[in-house]
Amino acid sequence: MFSRVRLKLVFFIFAILISLIFREIFILQIVNNDENTQEIINQNFETFYIPAPRGQIADINGNILAESVLEPYLYLNQKKINIENRNVYKQFISFNFKDLTNEEIENIFDSSEIFVKVVNLNNYDIDLRKKIQNYEAFEIFNQPVRIYRHGELFSHVIGYTGNPNQSEIVEFVNSEENKTVGKNGIERYYENILSGKASKITLQNGEIIEILPAIPGQDIQLTIDLNTQEVVKESLQQGIDLANKSFETPNAIERGAVVVQKIDTGEIVAMISLPDFDPNQFISGISEFEFKKLNRNKAFNNFAIQGLYPPGSVFKVVAYWLALNEGIFPDEASNYNEYVNCDGSLSFGFDDGSKQVYEDWKPEGHGKVNLSEAMKQSCNVYFWDIALKIWRTFGNTDSEAMLQEYSKQLGFSTFSNIDLPFEKAGVIPDRELFDDWKISKPELVRPEGWLGGDLMNLIIGQGAITTTPIQVSNAYRTLLTGEKSSPYLNSQNFNNEKTNINISQEFISFLLDDLNLVTNPGGTAYRSFQIMGENTFDIGGKTGTAQNPGDLNNTSWFVGVDSISNPKYIVVTVVEEGGSGSAVAAPVSRRIIQHLLDLDLTPVEFGEITE
Amino acid sequence: MINKRITLLGPEGTNIYVFLQYLVFCVISWFTLFDITNEIGLDIQNVLVRQIIFTILGMIIFFLFTYVSVNNIFSLANVLIFSSTVLLVGVLFTQETLGARRRYDLGVFDFQPSEFTKVAFIIFLARAISQKSNKFVIFTIITVNIALIYLQPDLGTTFILLSIVIAMYFLSNVSVKSVITVLILLFISFFILLEFELVSSFQVQRITDFYSSDIQDFSQRQSRLQISLGGILGEDLSNTQNISIFVPVQTTDFIFSSFAKSFGFIGCITLIFLWIFFGFRVYKLVLSSNSEFEKFLLSGFVILLYLQIVVNVATVLGLIPLTGDPFPLLSLGGSSIIAVSSIFGIINRVFIENNQII
Repeated sequence: MFSRVRLKLVFFIFAILISLIFREIFILQIVNNDENTQEIINQNFETFYIPAPRGQIADINGNILAESVLEPYLYLNQKKINIENRNVYKQFISFNFKDLTNEEIENIFDSSEIFVKVVNLNNYDIDLRKKIQNYEAFEIFNQPVRIYRHGELFSHVIGYTGNPNQSEIVEFVNSEENKTVGKNGIERYYENILSGKASKITLQNGEIIEILPAIPGQDIQLTIDLNTQEVVKESLQQGIDLANKSFETPNAIERGAVVVQKIDTGEIVAMISLPDFDPNQFISGISEFEFKKLNRNKAFNNFAIQGLYPPGSVFKVVAYWLALNEGIFPDEASNYNEYVNCDGSLSFGFDDGSKQVYEDWKPEGHGKVNLSEAMKQSCNVYFWDIALKIWRTFGNTDSEAMLQEYSKQLGFSTFSNIDLPFEKAGVIPDRELFDDWKISKPELVRPEGWLGGDLMNLIIGQGAITTTPIQVSNAYRTLLTGEKSSPYLNSQNFNNEKTNINISQEFISFLLDDLNLVTNPGGTAYRSFQIMGENTFDIGGKTGTAQNPGDLNNTSWFVGVDSISNPKYIVVTVVEEGGSGSAVAAPVSRRIIQHLLDLDLTPVEFGEITE
Repeated sequence: MINKRITLLGPEGTNIYVFLQYLVFCVISWFTLFDITNEIGLDIQNVLVRQIIFTILGMIIFFLFTYVSVNNIFSLANVLIFSSTVLLVGVLFTQETLGARRRYDLGVFDFQPSEFTKVAFIIFLARAISQKSNKFVIFTIITVNIALIYLQPDLGTTFILLSIVIAMYFLSNVSVKSVITVLILLFISFFILLEFELVSSFQVQRITDFYSSDIQDFSQRQSRLQISLGGILGEDLSNTQNISIFVPVQTTDFIFSSFAKSFGFIGCITLIFLWIFFGFRVYKLVLSSNSEFEKFLLSGFVILLYLQIVVNVATVLGLIPLTGDPFPLLSLGGSSIIAVSSIFGIINRVFIENNQII
């Protein structure tokens, strides 16, 4: 039976629902009318940004290394595209820009951006621009294109730019609007200086109503010298080729780094890391294959500030400074000048009665050596004696870590704070670190922890120690000036904090004289510098050969000083798996020093294997 | 019985109020669609002209139904529900669009069988309830049809059909106890379906998310703003700045928001009151009719139309989660217009048979 009462009830329910709906419509249309209208007006204004040109990067002589060139780009205003004219524009684009694939054209029309980049008009006929003016949905905006004039040469110093990711957008204020951020090198470190404020375009209902011009980024002048940089790259490449020719290694030798630093200011004159890459590739778009290949070769690493290598004998200069400062010499010698006998090995006993023998690189020994001779010939035994003395005198006391303290004063195991991003710090091992490693990295340390042998390893720059070329360069600079500051690439040097270190003029000239011995007859680098003839009398340096685990070839080091009478530059060369420092790294530095002294350049030739 | 007197407007004339109201709703739709095409630059051929053609088709259907006697409709009920079932099975084998299989592509327009089902369903229910048919048979046929629509999937229509079944069952003066039992059974079966993953937890989550957070759907947020724009008297009078806003599916499911913008609060009240007036006239007829079938048929139709309006407007206002229900006679769409036209046609016929010809 049909129930009227219940039909009334059903209508009553509908009456309630309809009143609820009216209440809501009333609130929207009458109560919130103004507020919501304002929100719609805000929605109607849209903004779009055209990147600002980045600042130029020039070398010390004003040669332009990186610049932003404005090029006319064709943009499509999506707000003016509708069902009717869509095909007209599609046909125009596919007819006039034959380089675009159908898929690319579809992507233009499917884009969610207001303005979509179509092409760079510089690649097309100038007459085309007149035709474009008849199409109201097309806009031409000048947009900067980054050009790295010297390609690979500055890939690590200058870096490159790219699309910002989420964290970069947060970190760098201008990056989102510019759709560009420095990804590495100077481009990243000085992102906030180099990047400008993007041009802001405001639209209402698809029509441009306001264009705020872009504020270009500021220019930066580097301390780098273009000519030196070129010579340095050539020389390092020659050194790497030489190493490949001279040694049989399981993998090709291809990595190395050079730092040329001015001694008086600490500025960087040249910095090269190999392998390198062409940063222009990132602007025009790099293929995934190419990117992976570069990544596999570690081409993106700047080994000058990121390469962590044990320094080998170039580190002996720390012990040299300590010995003279603290008066700690081998047992048989009471001062730096007294000779001790080096018979090619050092054997010594431990408290528990065990005995250990350490072999010098020269099995027949260096004969009678004092501190200067030990530097000149890179005698390990002399420095081991110093380490033993420290260990036996101060072992397990507060002064036990004096060698580490001296290293840290010179900047090892801390960032040099050069104005480049992603620097690495390296480590100077001590008892504390080994105790930590026992827990965190047990595979790296013996269960006994820190022992005398570890100190003996450390004193000759072997074992757990790792350093970067920039740290070594800056440490030598500190020892040669008594002043510690951060190396820098921006000629304006914002970070000119200096600390004075207690180093006497006497010590400096003493050290210079001993470095001079290394490149002269009897010294480990003599063979590499011989070709310079009499000029070697005023040149100095220190070789280093760091052993690597397994069947990897040694790391080749050389720290050179261009002049003893008037030292201006430090040249630090590292060739990964380049073998003996006196064989490969030394001749590379020699060729660079020839350039710094305005001498004729001679090719990098094999020195001799020492150490 | 009724004298067969052929006139221009049907065999025995036409109830002019039903026809006029039908026409008024259609014309409102044309104006609204004209406004939309004007504002967002849609192809007028594709929107307004199509809707006018649909309306003309609908009118033909309206007049065709005035020739079909209520007795014929009564006897056709079983055939109709059977064809609905066949169409619903067939639609499951069509090409999937936007994650659902809801329509047959007929070239000129898409035919949505669920719109047809709504009409057939009410005719069938009215007959079954007034005749007191075998409850098991009714139950099976209803369940199969609702399940087929659920499988498309079309949750909005499923909900509407379920509500109609409950409402019409409720009208038949069954004990309150049995209505409550049905509701409880429905509730339990929902959880059983959920357990066997016939209702995906995604759909449930969509509903719980809707009521647990402030973030509304983009189109609902936009439609609320657009409705605001209408003010009291409609956009053309109160909105002096030329501002516009983008609302998705503006011509179909969200057409009410454009209507509210164009005609304002006064327009909304007028539209809803026209529908209330229409419902009131049908209600009077229900009370005066002597046929049980007619009573159930008419109340079923009004409940269906009101439900669709309430669900559609509540969706556009962002009060309930997105469904896909059109506003009867306002939304652009052939299937919906033809279905609603046949409902109006049948209602007109009932008026005629009750000698209410003006």
